[in-house]
Amino acid sequence: MRRLLAIVVLLAGLPLSIGGQELRVPNKPDSVKFAVIGDSGTGSSSQRAVGKELATWRTRFPFEFVVMVGDNLYGSERPGDFQKKFEIPYKPLLDAKVKFYAALGNHDDAAIQKNYPLFNMNGERFYSFKPKDGVRFFALDSNYVDKTQLDWLDKQLAASGSEWKIMFFHHPLYSSGETHGSAELQREVLEPVFVKHGVNLVLTGHEHFYERLKPQKGIQYFIIGSSAKLRKGDLAKSELTLYGNDREYAFMLMEIDGDELFFQTINEKGQTIDAGSIRRVGKVEPAPSRTTQPVIPQAKPTPAQPGPRQQGK
Amino acid sequence: MKVSHLLTVALLTAACGGDPAPDRSNYDASEPAAAPAATSGETIETQTPAREPAEKGPQISSAPPAPLVAPAARAKGVNPHAAILADFKERVDAYMKVRKDAIKDAPKLKETTDTAKLKAAQDGMAVHIRAARQNAQQGDVLTPEIVAQFRRLLYPELKGDDGRDAKEILKDDAPSPQSITFKVNAKYPDNAPVPTVPATLLLNLPTLPEPLQYKIIGKHLLLLDEEADVIVDYALNVIR
Repeated sequence: MRRLLAIVVLLAGLPLSIGGQELRVPNKPDSVKFAVIGDSGTGSSSQRAVGKELATWRTRFPFEFVVMVGDNLYGSERPGDFQKKFEIPYKPLLDAKVKFYAALGNHDDAAIQKNYPLFNMNGERFYSFKPKDGVRFFALDSNYVDKTQLDWLDKQLAASGSEWKIMFFHHPLYSSGETHGSAELQREVLEPVFVKHGVNLVLTGHEHFYERLKPQKGIQYFIIGSSAKLRKGDLAKSELTLYGNDREYAFMLMEIDGDELFFQTINEKGQTIDAGSIRRVGKVEPAPSRTTQPVIPQAKPTPAQPGPRQQGK
Repeated sequence: MKVSHLLTVALLTAACGGDPAPDRSNYDASEPAAAPAATSGETIETQTPAREPAEKGPQISSAPPAPLVAPAARAKGVNPHAAILADFKERVDAYMKVRKDAIKDAPKLKETTDTAKLKAAQDGMAVHIRAARQNAQQGDVLTPEIVAQFRRLLYPELKGDDGRDAKEILKDDAPSPQSITFKVNAKYPDNAPVPTVPATLLLNLPTLPEPLQYKIIGKHLLLLDEEADVIVDYALNVIR
C-alpha cells in the first residue's frame, strides 16, 4: 500500500516536472547560443549539480560557450582547486570544446586566472570577444574600474557599431539583495558609458541569487550569482525586480537571433524557473557623439510554471 | 624639463585646479608625519614609522635617495598639489623600473593550463621584486605629503550620502585588516577576497600603471603589485 501511494505522488508531480524541463528558447540553427553561470567556483555538490544540468541541457540546446560572471574559484587557487572547482564540474562541456569566458570576481586571483587559457581572458583583466557578426561581449573587472579600463571600454564600444553589446562582470549595478545591494558607485561611472553607446544587456553575479530586473535606461540587467552558492532569503522584492529566486541554484541559457534575445533560467534539478525574451529596438548608429538611448530592450517575461520552491518577487 | 614632464604637471595641475577640500588629516603636507595608531582592536604589523622627510627619500632602487619631492615636481611655479602628484608619478615610475629589471630573469607569467607553473611564476616574480627592494620602507612611494594629498582628493567622495555608500562598499568585500600584514614587501594573502574599490574613489586618485593597484582595507590604503601579490607600500588611516 505504501509503494502504491508513492507511485501516485510521483505521477501527480510528473506534469509539472516535464513542463519545467521544456526548452523555452527557439534553438534556431544560425543563432548565437550560450550559457551563463555566476559565483560558481566552490567545488561543492551544488556546483557539480549545475554542471551536470548544463551538460544535459546542451544535448538539446548546443550552446557554444559559457559566460562566467566572476567568483570563478573561491578560496585557494592551487592546481587541485582548478580541477575541483572548474575542470571536473564542467568536464563534459570542456571535453565537448565548449569555451568558457570569465570575468573576475572579488574572490578571484587576477594574475592566475587571466593567464589560465580555459578562461579565455588572454592575459587581460578586461577584454571583449565577438562570437559572431553582430554580437559582441565585454568582460569587465568591476573590482577595479579605473580610468584605464573606462577609456578602453569607451573606445571599444564606440568601435563596435551596430552589434548587440553585452556586458558581463561581477558586481551588479542594480540589485535587490539585502547583503550587497546595488553597486551604486560603480554604476555612477559605468552606466553613462553603457547608455552613451547603447549597451543592451548586462549580466552580473556577486549576489547569491537570481534576479531579472526591470530594464534601466534601456538596458536589461540580470543577476545570476547562484550557480554554486545560495543566500536564501536575501532577495528583497523591490521596484527593480521583475522576477527573482533565492531558493534554488541556477544557470541561464541564452540565444540571440537577429534583434531578439531569448533566455531560460534553469535550476540544479533541470527545472525552468524563468524564461522570456528581449527585443532590441532600432539599430545603433555609429555616431560616437550620440548620447540618447539608441536601443530599447523590451522584456517580454513569460515565467515558467512555478516549481514547489520557486520564489517569485 | 622634458616635454612629457611639463605635460604631466599641466594635466595634474588642471586635475587639482581650485582649492582642495580642507585637509583634516593629522598629517601636514609640509611637516613630517607621525605614524598613526592602528584602529582599536586591529593587530597591524607595521614597519618603521614614516621617516623624517628631509633626511630620507625613496629607497625603491639602489639609486641614491631622492628628496621628498622629486626634482621634476619641484619645478618653479608649479601648483604645489600638482607637484606632489607629479612626485607620486615619479616614485611609481621608479618602482616600475625596478620591477622591470627585477623580473627580467624571473619565470614569466604566461598562459598555461598548468596552474602550478602560473603560481610558481607569480611567487618567483615576488621573490625577485622583494630582493630588488629589500631596503624599501613604508613611505617610499606613499610619502606623508602624497598621503595627505590623497586624503584631500578622496575627501569629497567620502562625505554625504555618496560617502556613506563608498564606505559601505569598502566594508562590503574587504578582508578584515587583521588578515593583512601591513608591511612593505609582504604578500597579499592568497585566500583573501579582493576589496572592491569604489570607482568614484579610484577616479579621484592618479591612475596607476598595470599591474599596480590601490586597495583599501578598512581605513588603510595599500599599493599592491597585483601580479606578484606584493605590497609595494601602504598608508594607515587614509579613510576617515
